[in-house]
Amino acid sequence: MLITRNSTRNFYRPIIGFLAATSAALLLYAIWLCLHNISLMSTKDTQFVGLSNFIRLATDWRGVQALGRTALFVLLATSIEVVLGIAIAMFLDQDFRGKKIVRAVILVPMIMTPVITGLTWRFLFNAQSGMINYWLSLAGIPPIDWLGNPSIALYAVLIADIWQWTPFVVLLAMATLETIPKDLVEAARMDGASELRVIWHVILPMLRRTLGVAALIRAIDSVKAFDLFYIMTKGGPALSTETQNLYGYTVAFTNFDISYAMTIALFLTIVTNVALFVLTRFAMPKGVR
Amino acid sequence: MSKAGSISRRVFVGIAVMAAATTETGVAMAQDKPFTGQRLSVLMVGHPTTDAVRKALPDFTAATGIDVDLEVVPEADSVPKMMLEFSAGSGRYDVVEASSIHVQGFVGAKYVAPLDDLAAKSGDFYDQTDFVPAYLKPNVVEGKLYGLPLFGESSFLMYRKDLFEQYGIAVPKTFDEIETAAKTVKEKSNGEIVGITMRGQQGIQGVYIWASYLWGMGGSFLTADGKSALDTPEATKALETFAHVLREYGPVGVANMGWEENRLLFQQGKAAMTLDATVNGAFNEDPAVSTVAGKVGYAPVPVQTTTPKGGSSSLAVFNLHVASDSQQQDAAWLFVSWATSKQQQIHSLETDPNSGVTSIAAMSSVAFNKRYGSFKEAMLASLANGNPQYIPTVPQANELVNNAGIAVSKVLAGTTSAADALKEADDLNNAALTR
Repeated sequence: MLITRNSTRNFYRPIIGFLAATSAALLLYAIWLCLHNISLMSTKDTQFVGLSNFIRLATDWRGVQALGRTALFVLLATSIEVVLGIAIAMFLDQDFRGKKIVRAVILVPMIMTPVITGLTWRFLFNAQSGMINYWLSLAGIPPIDWLGNPSIALYAVLIADIWQWTPFVVLLAMATLETIPKDLVEAARMDGASELRVIWHVILPMLRRTLGVAALIRAIDSVKAFDLFYIMTKGGPALSTETQNLYGYTVAFTNFDISYAMTIALFLTIVTNVALFVLTRFAMPKGVR
Repeated sequence: MSKAGSISRRVFVGIAVMAAATTETGVAMAQDKPFTGQRLSVLMVGHPTTDAVRKALPDFTAATGIDVDLEVVPEADSVPKMMLEFSAGSGRYDVVEASSIHVQGFVGAKYVAPLDDLAAKSGDFYDQTDFVPAYLKPNVVEGKLYGLPLFGESSFLMYRKDLFEQYGIAVPKTFDEIETAAKTVKEKSNGEIVGITMRGQQGIQGVYIWASYLWGMGGSFLTADGKSALDTPEATKALETFAHVLREYGPVGVANMGWEENRLLFQQGKAAMTLDATVNGAFNEDPAVSTVAGKVGYAPVPVQTTTPKGGSSSLAVFNLHVASDSQQQDAAWLFVSWATSKQQQIHSLETDPNSGVTSIAAMSSVAFNKRYGSFKEAMLASLANGNPQYIPTVPQANELVNNAGIAVSKVLAGTTSAADALKEADDLNNAALTR
């Protein structure tokens, strides 16, 4: 009752209303597109085609494979980034000389524009003259075809993504670590708990909420990941790095099949929303929300 | 959420722009410059030819009184950009530049205007007989002219004369001879030098080069009645041969190599042969960027069969079109005919590395022969045999290329056999053609 009488409602209500109206209009337009056969290159008139775009997607092996690849990428990227991010944050939480410099440097990848990151890694991974294969050659390892081998390429892009986005998790985890009361940790140590037990039973439970948020944001971003893929591999070789998002782009901007591209995008949105809803429940049970 | 999702926003913006656009009315200032004060919006593709046009714009304004707002974007981005404006009917661009493969689609969707009437009204800059006929041809649909060629290129085989002499190799005329030559180079140089390098990246990059093998083996993308022809013994042989030579004697990482990587590898002297666009000749012969200047020989793209369905060298032409929804088509035509005129093309040779001129007069000029003499003959021979259908020109061309590109990439990466990969692409292409 208090909230509805609050006069600030006059400020936020129109904004929320406007945002809701925009979303609804765009969503309706998107659904309208999905139910028609709009292709910028087609000479045919626009027709209502019912659910045939959705049926086409369900039987489209390329789309199904792309969805699987998206899922694999999201799973690996999110889990590795979160685990690695926490480990680095705990390491940086100690006192040592040059801590400030290390903390500043570790944030550099996150600040870089994805285009620069993609190009840099593309050149690092270059099979002929890339830095990574050069280092490997010093150790006597023959050149690895990082971006040209379909069973490696996805992981090469994954490495670039992890390099760029782990610092984001580090940043969030560090901010939380600093708010954890030190006496709790010290009390546990006094009671004779090993370092591992301190981390597992004292520090991690207090980081839980931060981890949930970090994982959620990283998962959403990984589903949408586009720039690194586009610059490093363009979905190749042999489709091995084509995610659902990139497939939608190809259908829209190479084939100009707007309706089908929108169907792919809408489907991806629905799948993502459902998956993230489940993740939210799992990561943030009622008690800590 | 995804990239495709943003299209609705862009179409919305397009509609908003259309609503806000006001028709500009030109004021006739003088009898000889009836379009003085008009302002054209032109979308062009990033290329040396475009640079030359940009530098010469003041001349155009001085001659006609027309101002030009020139927007230059990379080739891959230009088509989506103009398509979104065209489909929204925004009238955003008066003149656009696009590759020949889009002409049929643009004409079918009525995105570009026929030029014959405009040409009849004003022929100040226009001389039809000065264009290389093969360049002009893709712009003529059912007898009507829809664009003028701005620059064009073909493809040829580049080989290291010094290495060929050292190892006693003759210039390859068939794809089997290419493989033998590549094998010899690899063996005799103890693997130091790559036998042959070509683009293998999934998509148009790989398909653009593989198409040489396809046509040269007697295959084609489409049958005479417009169905996909990729599920044929010729196409399978072409893909097997292409993938085999690259996997055995090509560079590591070839499956992700585009035009740039391929060009650099050859310029750095790390490969004995490459098959690529004629514009690469200009890079090979420039001592500032190349270690092989003067050591490169140029030859036509090989042919394996005696009865090909079409030439095995490409013919890529970029044309200027007048948009159907332009409100200033007369002024737009003047710009199109000026930018492609022989005066401007000859002038462009002085300002930029423009080896792709479409004017016969520019091609026979002294400047052209001095700069590009070492590969002019091979380039002209390739152009003469250049196949305007090298890459399909049907409205669904992009999708067909995309599907073929996946097949090429799969076989090159060794995940699928050529027959299976092409069967898959064939089914997808037939579905796209009937959609």
